Amino acid sequence: MEQLLELKLLWAALVAYVLCGSLAIVGVVLRKRPERSVLALLLLGLALHTASIAVRWDRLGHGPFITMFEILSSNIWSLMLAFTIAYWRIAAIRASAAVVMPILFIMMGWLMMTSPGEGHFPPTYHTVWLFIHIGFGKVFLGAALVAVGLAGAILLRRTARGAAWFQRLPADARLDELAYRCMALGFIFETLMLIAGAIWAQDAWGRYWAWDPLETWAFITWLALGISLHARVTFRLSPRTGALMVLAVFAVAFLTFFGVPFVSTSPHKGAV
Amino acid sequence: MSVADSAIGSRSAGVRLLRLAGSLKFALINLAALFVGVCVAYLSDSRTVWALVVPLASSAVNLLAAMLTNAVFRRQLPLLVFHLALLAVIVLVALGRLTYLKGAAEVVDGGSFDGVLATREAGPFHGDAIAALSFASHGFTIDYAPGIRRGATRNEVAFRNAAGRLETRIIGDQQPLVLAGYRFYTSHNKGFAPTFVWHPAAGGVPQLGAVHLPAYPLHEYRQAREWVIPGTATVVWTMLQFQEIILDPDKADQFKLPGEHDLVVRIGEQRWQLQPGMSVSLPAGRLEYVGLRGWMGYTVFYDWTIPWLLAAALAAAFSLGWHYWRKFAARPWNREQDDGTTA
Ligand code: HEM
Repeated sequence: MEQLLELKLLWAALVAYVLCGSLAIVGVVLRKRPERSVLALLLLGLALHTASIAVRWDRLGHGPFITMFEILSSNIWSLMLAFTIAYWRIAAIRASAAVVMPILFIMMGWLMMTSPGEGHFPPTYHTVWLFIHIGFGKVFLGAALVAVGLAGAILLRRTARGAAWFQRLPADARLDELAYRCMALGFIFETLMLIAGAIWAQDAWGRYWAWDPLETWAFITWLALGISLHARVTFRLSPRTGALMVLAVFAVAFLTFFGVPFVSTSPHKGAV
Repeated sequence: MSVADSAIGSRSAGVRLLRLAGSLKFALINLAALFVGVCVAYLSDSRTVWALVVPLASSAVNLLAAMLTNAVFRRQLPLLVFHLALLAVIVLVALGRLTYLKGAAEVVDGGSFDGVLATREAGPFHGDAIAALSFASHGFTIDYAPGIRRGATRNEVAFRNAAGRLETRIIGDQQPLVLAGYRFYTSHNKGFAPTFVWHPAAGGVPQLGAVHLPAYPLHEYRQAREWVIPGTATVVWTMLQFQEIILDPDKADQFKLPGEHDLVVRIGEQRWQLQPGMSVSLPAGRLEYVGLRGWMGYTVFYDWTIPWLLAAALAAAFSLGWHYWRKFAARPWNREQDDGTTA
């Protein structure tokens, strides 16, 4: 019964997100500005999604951290939240929704294909570090997503059609600067996520770092981000190169967050 | 060229070399090398520590040289703190790797840890303070969720604290017992231990001994092992048999010892089926089976750098936040660049 309610709420949220994303894309293509409606739909989707997660949390007695379904759902939620904040606060970049939403659509499609069954909540997860570690990770990924929207717009603007679509966005150099700032913010939170993860690992498994697949990939993501930030202060990069670096870092991060935990059978899933 | 000229020449050559060693491009090369090194170490099965050590050592030199030569670090304190903290992390990790210990120990209920590890992996400069450590285990409980999923472990241990007084404490998978910097965590590795008393025929003190059978439930169907009676060359094969369901997959349960059980003991061609209190008479003495106990496997970890590493890593994160705060607050993102200080 409750599971049905939870899934209904989730479906309603996804419908709101899809309407919102479609509206944003159509707005960009037709050069209209349905920004209020987009924001309203974003908030509606977020409210429904929050309710769905809350119902499930209450039913299972633990947060959405275990199964692929839960991890996808909670990350779509946090990425939507991050993008909603950017959309609301930085009006000049609203058109980048047309780049961001399709990425989230892919995640939503994936979510719909995963089973909403429940998983076992391992004893090592009964700790406040779970929330700290995952919270930092979500801020990192959210900041990176906003940067990806900007980077995507920079790259699409190299085509005639893209240039027309994203005409009203600020100049490439400005978008590049904002994307860089998002990545810098992300780097701080990625660093904090690694620290919190190490503290947790020391508690949970008696070692703070052991190069398990997820740790290794998280470190690779951190390094990729460090390299891209360093490259910016070392060379004068064009907005296009900067944008490509943002996409590369996001790809590695995406793989780390949604690929590695589910292809490896090694630790970092906590349960034995 | 005079002697003085060549001295100046070599000094400026030294300075140039230092500048090169501290250059931003070299930093990028090092970061890229570390990136490749991590991938190599991750993908290959053989020992590839060098793939990490070389770029890290090179980064440390790079950082040190940069702090000496690059004026940016004098102008931007947060950036200096951040890179100093990174250097500290590299140095601490190196020190940690040279002195750490990771091992495992097993202790039977009612028995004690006496400094001996079952497995051990340690840095080349690890001392042997662990040999002097001891604690007693007073038994443990482990919760299982339906489906035989292991939950919390509670293990009561007794030890002498710093003041020399006996203290007891409950430890678990996430609450280690810390003795002289060594951390003892309970682990998934635990099982049953048939306990014997060996009474030598020639007289002498009877000896208590526990046979740690393979971990349960991991090796549920291999509850047997060979051991040697202390002070003799007699090899004994021991197998535990019971009907009882120890961990019911259909409900929440707790780890427990089988109540009714048989202990099969085989020496050479001879075979006995024992209950607690029964004995086997051998030419060299009498082997008495006194009953079943549990044994707990511990993960042992020692690394004195942990709190320092944490401090350095936090300093890095916060100084980086500080750096970016200063850098970004100075100018909105959508205003054209005017002072050349930002990218
Ligand atoms: C290996 C030796 C390293 C050297 C010599 C070095 C040197 C420098 C220098 C001189 C700057 C200031 C650039 C400027 O503002 O003009 C800088 C900035 C920075 N470095 Fe490093 N660095 C090193 C390693 C690292 C590492 C390992 C990381 C982390 C992955 C890192 C992350 C950063 C970041 C995030 C900045 C700030 C860039 C910005 O303001 O956007 N550095 N580094």
